[in-house]
Amino acid sequence: MIRILVRIAVAVVVLTLTAGAVAVGQTQDRRVRELILLTRPQAVDPQEFEMARLLAPEFEKLGLKVTVRVMPWEQLADYVWYSRDKWDMTMWQMVGRAERSDPDEFTFNLFHASTAEKGYNFVGYVNSTYNGIAEAQRIKTDLKVRRQLIFEAQKIIARDVPYVFLVFPQSSYAYNNTVWDPKSVVEQKGIGLKNFWTFDAATPRGTQKDFVLNTADPVQAINPLFISGSTDSWITELIWDRLLRVGPDGLPRPWAAEKVEWVDSVTLDVTLRRGMKFHDGHPVTADDVIFSFTAPMGDEVPMYKPFVRVIDKIEKRSDTVIRFTLKDPYAPFLTSSLAKVNIIPKHIWEPVLADLAKKPENAESYQEQVPVGSGPYKFVQWKKAEEVVLEANPDHFAAPKARRWVLRIIPNVEAALGGLRNGELNFLSVYGGDPQILDQLAKQTPSITVVSTMDIGMRFLAFNLRRPPYDDLAVRQALNMAANKKAIRSVVFKGYATVADSFVSPALEYWHNAEVPKLNYNIKAARDVLAKAGYEWDADGRLLYPKGKVETLVGK
Amino acid sequence: MPTRFSFLASRLSQTVLVLWVVATLLFLIFRLMPGNPLVAYIDPNFTAEVQQALLRQFGLDQPLHVQYAVFLSNLVRGEFGRSFFSREPVSQVMWQVLPNTLVLTLSALLLAYAVGVVGGALLAARRGTWAEAWGIPAVLATRAAPEFWVGMLALAVFSFTLNWFPSSGATSPGSAYSTWWAQVASWDFLRHLTLPALTLALYLQGLPTLLMRSTMLEVMDEDFITFCRMRGLPERTILLRHAARNALLPVVTAFALGIGYSIGGNVIIETVFSWPGLGRTLVRAVAAKDYPVAQAAFFLIAVVMIVMNFVADLLYSLLDPRVSHERQ
Repeated sequence: MIRILVRIAVAVVVLTLTAGAVAVGQTQDRRVRELILLTRPQAVDPQEFEMARLLAPEFEKLGLKVTVRVMPWEQLADYVWYSRDKWDMTMWQMVGRAERSDPDEFTFNLFHASTAEKGYNFVGYVNSTYNGIAEAQRIKTDLKVRRQLIFEAQKIIARDVPYVFLVFPQSSYAYNNTVWDPKSVVEQKGIGLKNFWTFDAATPRGTQKDFVLNTADPVQAINPLFISGSTDSWITELIWDRLLRVGPDGLPRPWAAEKVEWVDSVTLDVTLRRGMKFHDGHPVTADDVIFSFTAPMGDEVPMYKPFVRVIDKIEKRSDTVIRFTLKDPYAPFLTSSLAKVNIIPKHIWEPVLADLAKKPENAESYQEQVPVGSGPYKFVQWKKAEEVVLEANPDHFAAPKARRWVLRIIPNVEAALGGLRNGELNFLSVYGGDPQILDQLAKQTPSITVVSTMDIGMRFLAFNLRRPPYDDLAVRQALNMAANKKAIRSVVFKGYATVADSFVSPALEYWHNAEVPKLNYNIKAARDVLAKAGYEWDADGRLLYPKGKVETLVGK
Repeated sequence: MPTRFSFLASRLSQTVLVLWVVATLLFLIFRLMPGNPLVAYIDPNFTAEVQQALLRQFGLDQPLHVQYAVFLSNLVRGEFGRSFFSREPVSQVMWQVLPNTLVLTLSALLLAYAVGVVGGALLAARRGTWAEAWGIPAVLATRAAPEFWVGMLALAVFSFTLNWFPSSGATSPGSAYSTWWAQVASWDFLRHLTLPALTLALYLQGLPTLLMRSTMLEVMDEDFITFCRMRGLPERTILLRHAARNALLPVVTAFALGIGYSIGGNVIIETVFSWPGLGRTLVRAVAAKDYPVAQAAFFLIAVVMIVMNFVADLLYSLLDPRVSHERQ
């Protein structure tokens, strides 16, 4: 009897031991590996770094091990872009630009499957229903139909969670209201005060008629055929005209074109405004416009090629009417091509491009000594690393009210702020510092007006959908629910931001879908989502994959 | 003199060798650093086609050894290619800002060495007095104070509060000059130069002051000074005519090397005062992986350093006959 009992006891012990060993072995295999969250350094982007530092411990509450890894932007972008199988998750941002007032760029390029391999869909999001909608919204020239499609696209992305949208930051700009009449300073939706319309319309109140503003980055090039830095684009917008411009409301409006008419879904007639002149006195003709749109079709202007690719042919119908025929219907054409391509003088650029065709360099290497456009400002001088000076073009149909436009390159934020206070600057167009300090300054100094506006640009965290555990929707949803966006808004942005749930900013009222499914911060609910999907936790609290799932990494 | 000639020849061949090593290291360092110059253009509209065009334009579609061969052959001809960033020839990128850097650092250097030499000599002459007790800590403190902090203080006091000096740039907004020389000679430029140059001089004066003081003290112990005293020369004459002249030697070397360092610009001062100089261009080039500009700038610094070392060596033998380059 005793012997039997002993045997049973031994058997039980052995069995539990082996079972335990098996269980341990299994849980080890099923553990979700350590996950790496990439971010830029604190010194470069303190907000991004702090967001990563806030997110990681929240994710760990789900039983994950998350390590924040800091990389300089050049290295981070290189890794995410060119090693698409290797990274886990990364902080990322899109900045606001006038042409992003049309939702197409984000809708298509960020999430369409065709850009997953080499383009901007670096997360590897592939969904055929979504692809269909992203393609359809490009074709539908009917605004209401297109709006429904953009709404649907936002809904699908909110449900599929390829990103955790965090916030739309506010951008703050300040100016001296004794120099510029506040009524003439224009706020552009989702862009803020620093925009073409302000530069053109700002009206001086006293003797200071020079618009003196700052930038932190050096100007790289002043070239209508080279998309260089973002600062450079402020200058090209002023020197060169475009057929349309994105207005303060975010919608394209006639500019150098008097009128734009769709003849059918692929044919567009553009009527050129009469009496326009280039800064060297030559008139702006239909031939110049046609040249401006055909030049990027060759190989000398690679950066503008994507914007004219959709054009099949361009014909001159009369001295002022130009007909564009597109290869396929393309709804964003007005914003992304007509409001993007600079009108350049044919008599200057035709010989230059012909000459460049024989050389290894292309149009991007050609810097005119005196850039010539037809825009509201004319080029005066460019002192490298110091300033760019433009002067008003009084012959322009929208001649600026300011006398000159002087862009000072000031890498030191505090110096820029001091310069605004003591009058060396009268418009603060780049401010990377604490927005509260700016607001305080405005309170103490009645001559300074500060305006903070919601941006089109957004901050988010991107998952690599090619890699487990992000291939599982439940994990992405749970991580989204573990992200405390409100804390990010109040701690990192000090309230100067709006919580984001979509890739279309609420600043774009017409396109923003406020009804997308929201995953609110709730750790318990997040763990429930995981549990329901079969995930378990081991004795250490680490998250285990559902039984049967094996973690295989392509990139290792 | 064959020995002096062979000394020069061997120094020159060494110099060429060192420059080749420096050039090769520069070539490799920037290419082995993680990151890629193309990422500056990453954008939703950035297509594989644009990417290929950029690679071809930058010559990065070639294998590394071909790139190296092109780099070396360009270097021999004194060419550095085009900046990836602004697409201008590198020499142009550098010449546009190098003069500003030279004006800033040379004026600061001259000021620092003038003050330092006199101050150091005085400190040595007043050994053991209150002047030394206060002077040395003061010199050390200004030498140790972080430049950006001193710079910001200077801006806060002299620019933002007193409004005596402008806070940024080398000239007033929108001012134009017919030539660069006209600009440098202008009152406006001088006003812009004052704060950054003084801040830099305050930082630079520590080395010449302390060096001058310690060599003066050493010289004062030497026999010929005792001999001068025995001849009954006045202390003033001994200090200025005999001791100071001999003590100047190491300071001259330090000055020559200081010029070498100054070519690289002073990133911190240039950033605080928004001075349009080479330092900022260089930092930007490294950060943006603008290989051609970064290579050229570092190579230029190496050349100037090597040349100034060489000049310092020659100066030594000219100023002090006891130093000889002839082989024993």
